[in-house]
Amino acid sequence: MARSAAALWWLMAALGGLVFVLVVALLVAGLRRGRAGPVRVEPGGSETGSSRRWLVGGGVLLPSVVLVVVLGATVAAMRDVPVQAPDGALVVEVTGHQYWWEIRYPAEGAVVANELHLPVGRPVALRLRSADVIHSFWVPALGGKMDALPDGVNTLVLQADEAGEHTSECAEFCGVQHTNMSLLVVAEEPDAFRAWVAAQAAPAAPVNSTGAAGADVFARACSRCHAVRPATEAEPAERGPDLTHFASRRTIGAIAENEPEALRRWISDPHAMKTGVLMPAVELDPHELDTVVTYLEGLR
Amino acid sequence: MTAPDPSTVGPGHTGPSDGTGPAATPMVVEPPTHDRLDRLWADPPGLRGQLTGVQNDKIGKRLLLTGFFFLILGGSVDSVVMRLQLAVPNNDLIGPELYNELFTNHGSVTMFLVILPIFEGFAILLLPLVLGTREMPFPRLGAFSYWTFLLGGLLYYSATLFQLVPNAGWFAYTPLSGPDFSPDLALDFWVLGLGVAEVGAIAAGFEIIIGVLKMRAPGMTLARMPLFAWSVLVMAFMILFAFTPLIIGSLLLELDRGFGTQFFDPTQGGSSLLWQHLFWIFGHPEVYIQFVPATGVVSMILPVFTRQRIVGYQWLVAALVGIGFLSFGLWAHHMFAVGLPPMVLGFFAAASMAIAIPAGIQIFAWLATIWAGRALWRTPMLFVLGFLVIFVLGGITGVMVAAPPFDLQAHDSHFIVGHLHYVLIGGVAFPIFAGVYYWFPKFTGRMLSERLGRWNFWLLFIGVNITFFPMHIVGLMGMPRRIYTYDESTGWGPYNLISTGGVLVVVSGIAVFVWNVVRSARRGDPAGANPWGADTLEWAVPSPPSEHGWSVLPIVTSRHPLWDQDDLHSGDARLERFVQAIGRWPLRWRAAVVVGTADGRPQEVFRVADPSIWPLCTALGVVTIFVAELAKLRWGLAVGGVIVVGSAIAWNWPSPADMTEAEEAAFEREHGVAVNAGGSVVVATWGMGLAILFVSIAFASLLLSYFYLRLENPQWPPPGVTGPGLGGPALAALAALTAAVSVRVALHRVRTGHRAGVLAALATGALATGAAVAGQAAALLGSGISGTAHAYGSIFSTLSGFLLVVMTAAFTMVLLVLVWAARGLYDARRYAPVANVARFHTAMVAIWLIGFGTLYLGPVLT
Repeated sequence: MARSAAALWWLMAALGGLVFVLVVALLVAGLRRGRAGPVRVEPGGSETGSSRRWLVGGGVLLPSVVLVVVLGATVAAMRDVPVQAPDGALVVEVTGHQYWWEIRYPAEGAVVANELHLPVGRPVALRLRSADVIHSFWVPALGGKMDALPDGVNTLVLQADEAGEHTSECAEFCGVQHTNMSLLVVAEEPDAFRAWVAAQAAPAAPVNSTGAAGADVFARACSRCHAVRPATEAEPAERGPDLTHFASRRTIGAIAENEPEALRRWISDPHAMKTGVLMPAVELDPHELDTVVTYLEGLR
Repeated sequence: MTAPDPSTVGPGHTGPSDGTGPAATPMVVEPPTHDRLDRLWADPPGLRGQLTGVQNDKIGKRLLLTGFFFLILGGSVDSVVMRLQLAVPNNDLIGPELYNELFTNHGSVTMFLVILPIFEGFAILLLPLVLGTREMPFPRLGAFSYWTFLLGGLLYYSATLFQLVPNAGWFAYTPLSGPDFSPDLALDFWVLGLGVAEVGAIAAGFEIIIGVLKMRAPGMTLARMPLFAWSVLVMAFMILFAFTPLIIGSLLLELDRGFGTQFFDPTQGGSSLLWQHLFWIFGHPEVYIQFVPATGVVSMILPVFTRQRIVGYQWLVAALVGIGFLSFGLWAHHMFAVGLPPMVLGFFAAASMAIAIPAGIQIFAWLATIWAGRALWRTPMLFVLGFLVIFVLGGITGVMVAAPPFDLQAHDSHFIVGHLHYVLIGGVAFPIFAGVYYWFPKFTGRMLSERLGRWNFWLLFIGVNITFFPMHIVGLMGMPRRIYTYDESTGWGPYNLISTGGVLVVVSGIAVFVWNVVRSARRGDPAGANPWGADTLEWAVPSPPSEHGWSVLPIVTSRHPLWDQDDLHSGDARLERFVQAIGRWPLRWRAAVVVGTADGRPQEVFRVADPSIWPLCTALGVVTIFVAELAKLRWGLAVGGVIVVGSAIAWNWPSPADMTEAEEAAFEREHGVAVNAGGSVVVATWGMGLAILFVSIAFASLLLSYFYLRLENPQWPPPGVTGPGLGGPALAALAALTAAVSVRVALHRVRTGHRAGVLAALATGALATGAAVAGQAAALLGSGISGTAHAYGSIFSTLSGFLLVVMTAAFTMVLLVLVWAARGLYDARRYAPVANVARFHTAMVAIWLIGFGTLYLGPVLT
């Protein structure tokens, strides 16, 4: 699909370039003539000479021909875009939140935040919706764009043909931190994908002795919004990112690299790192902060 | 500044070769008459005159100056700060909050407070001179339009004082702009401040439509009308059809925000996309509302600076009208990513591309004109040529984004930012600059400096391309719109740095412009009546023109009167006598002439409204309503309503004419043109027609919302809600019908001279209208349907409330006419207000019955 959109773009760019050059050439030639031209308009308004040729040829025929070609190519490109998920497509539920993406693999039972992994060579049906305001899902490299609405589900069908990493930015203004509502998109070989999704679907790593204190702090201070399966099996009251495999993620809040020092700053004052984020600053004493960071960084 | 080379003036022109055209000495009236007319048409001096003034010159200049003021404030300052923030990756010059406020402000101000008032200002300032008449039809409406625009703009900007700057984008998508996600008052400033300005835009639209269609020089048929007049006519109709749905959309949004209705809340039966539809039904035509008058300016300037009559006049008129119609059929191309079905995408793609055909006709008509003529390289011409180049590029990228597969890549990326600025700066701002350079001498008597003009043009032309061309590339690389920063790894940095450099060039160009205007207003070269050797009527009067513009009205026999006519005051003998007579009579009141819509033959001589404080009071009443809603002082809504109604009545209160019926009749006998010293019958009738059109469009927008919500909801009314009863509303509908019939009877009786019967019929009409209002109000209050529980109740209450407002307006009108009839104001010769109230009642009943069918019968039948 990205390929057909690109082909359409090059066709339109070429035709548009030709039209532009033609108009500018006519303009320059007309200005350089330096004498009255072939068209005469008499005082009564009747026109002689080639005025009709200008208007019909340049004004009607030229754009019509260009438009017929462009519209034909457009319709052809639109046919390339599947509207419904083909058989065998991987279904992913993508929910936009202010200002992060919730990614669910319903068949595989995995829940992730701000990271979308796709198997190469297999169509993927993204079921897009929003938990609050309108967001828009867009991976420039894979093509296509679809709004995530609070009204209902929109489906976008994508397919990655090569392994690689892309960044997706929210494409509909959604509030203060619209800018940093990013999503890491990883297209990987089917085997790697299967392994990844299985790991994400697994329950959280068992808590060892160093993590136990942190788990308690987490249950008290964080679990109102964040889940770690299966320890906090009940759905959190407020929906923040699921943290079951937090330590496997690349970023914190889609803005900072995931390492203990950044996590410490993030928990203490997320606004300093991402103005307007809906997570409140969590007041913990230094020891509690250490233990909860240790706990979270152990959730591989 | 020198006059143009005399040998190049006007193709086929055989008149005096002084470069000023044949009409440099048009005034054959003796000077005392000229001076008396000038005094008669002047606004009062001092502060009183500033507040009560209605002169079209004054209103037009104020609109222009205020528009440019907002351009510098919101157009330039904002953009410089935004560009500095984006100049380098990971910049922290300003944070996300301020950035979001800046782009919201930049879009809102330029779309609502800059281009529109500038073109309405051009229209109100220029039309009477261009069309060869003395005033606009409703000078007080013009004043009202200015005051609402100014007060609305100030109300909007006052948000800054409270640190409540709107921050949801100029499009204010729900639910982000709704009460849940924007709980403070910032968005209320946006909705309400701009709402006041929108009222002003529509008021000016009325003024322009009737001005162009009914107030022209004798002999100026539609086919001889300058293209600028055609373009603002199309613009004004588009304003009426586009801004009205926006006002309805804003009303629904404010009801959600202030009163707890559920129009845009999907969890309660509302729809977030309903806002997008209402917004873009306005928002796309809005682009063409700005572009259409710009092409009118181009079509005025190009012939003058090529010394060649415009090629393809009829084609250009057809293109303007075609663009006007087409622009309403392609709003959904702003919504390609919301999940519309492919058939709908295909339709809107084709419709969006089709507009390239009328645009192509315009471009090639101008190119042919350039080929036919010989270019004069003056500043207005430079801006027109710059317009052609930049606009063609913007149009080409416009066709590209009309193709959904490509748009889904470009949508909400910087490609669109580049595209829209090419269209709006190349397509609209350049013609505005061309127009200022072209007409500045007419209204100041002084030329703008050519040397500074060239600097101005080249700085803008180069700066605009440096700023906006790289945005196309960086957009295709994936840079979204409305982001306050980006990472270095994206590779977008160099392009953004170039853009930021470009905007500094643009700003220096604007600074040169401001300096040129300020300097030349005092020290520019004297201009003379016709410095460009132009062809249209405004160049026949002195620069600056007198207060009344024309002592003796011109008689038009050509599309290019100053090139083709040796004398502007000769023609048909009867017309010659008529225009000479209007130059000398009556000198007691401001007389203007109405002509036949198509043929330009004089129809009526009427008294134009005098200066008045009431337009300002009415505007203050409108602002009171909006401020009260902002401050959540609900009683203030009623106070504002009373001020509006009271001021509007005082504004329109009939004042006795300083003329007897015998005098009127004598002039009518001699010249065969009706005289109405009490005020125009024709203009008032057209005004009522447009008012009815306005109410109908507002009603249609509400109906559209009703059916949209109905389709979104599987069950209607929703489970647990019983539909309204039929009895009360049916009786009210009956009363409304009775009222309309009674007023018709009154009209028939006044026409046939039954003065006593008139009062009885009007009283019956008033009673029946009052009964209908009371009955419908009781039915609404007694229906027990909550306006805040579900979108069904919200639209039900709002639509019923709308019907009540229309009916109350009808009630007020019939009461007023009853009072005036009791004072003996009407007879078989003068009864226009009765006829207009009858028209309004008929429209009201039609609206009422459709509303009744939708709200009450519909749910029963289906």
